[in-house]
Amino acid sequence: MVYISSWDEFAERSIQLFRADPQSSRYVMKYRHCDGKLVLKVTDNRECLKFKTDQAQDARKMEKLNNIFFTLMARGPDVDISEVSGKEQSEAQPTKKGRGRKQ
Amino acid sequence: MVGSLAQPTHLPPYFKLRKVSSKSAREREREPSLFAFAMVLLQPDPFLNELTSMYERTTERGSVWVTLKRSSMKSKAKRNKMTSAGETIEYRCLVRATDGKKTISTVMECQSKLVLLSFEYKLSAKDHLRFQASYATILKAHMSALKKRERRDKKKAGDGQTKQEDLKKPPKKSSS
Repeated sequence: MVYISSWDEFAERSIQLFRADPQSSRYVMKYRHCDGKLVLKVTDNRECLKFKTDQAQDARKMEKLNNIFFTLMARGPDVDISEVSGKEQSEAQPTKKGRGRKQ
Repeated sequence: MVGSLAQPTHLPPYFKLRKVSSKSAREREREPSLFAFAMVLLQPDPFLNELTSMYERTTERGSVWVTLKRSSMKSKAKRNKMTSAGETIEYRCLVRATDGKKTISTVMECQSKLVLLSFEYKLSAKDHLRFQASYATILKAHMSALKKRERRDKKKAGDGQTKQEDLKKPPKKSSS
């Protein structure tokens, strides 16, 4: 079992792992309120990636990853749009807001 | 009942006798019965309600496991038949939740793993957004034990400085 320290690395590797074997991969989330700990695990029963945290900011990142996995699992592992559309929306909004001042 | 057991001398060494741990009455109560291997398949809203109560129950003690897995909900034999017949298999997102504590008597599906209390729900693409939103809300509401960022302390100090600057600015403008 590998604990990954970087969130981005965990997210990217877990999505790759799922895409490689969508039939046997699963995404597990364990939450302990008494300890204030959140552990995420993605495994295909051969390789295992884990991420451990006690930070609220990681919970927000985890929600985005949840949405990605929901879409991947329902529509299929070949869906690229799910990640791209989520990121594109967040990129499009700041560009609209920028440089609206008239001189 | 503490005490070493007399090893059988007529048997090879790998047949060692091991002391079975003495279980208290409380531990025996917690032991899973056959019903413990059951898993209840629910509709989305009851599943979310039960998940909420699961989080509420485990605030003092215990964990909540939520598992996401892609599944067609069909046996491997049937899946092979469908692929050979040329039928497309519809996959769904299987969501399981457990708190590992109490047993449940309703039998909908059997699982080989030792899962004590668990609920499942199948999702199709249509119910997605609604379920995702509700699920995210539940998680946000109950994951309150996680630590907040420490930046807030630094921000408070920064806000105090900016407020002082704002107080200085207006009197200058009014004079000009």
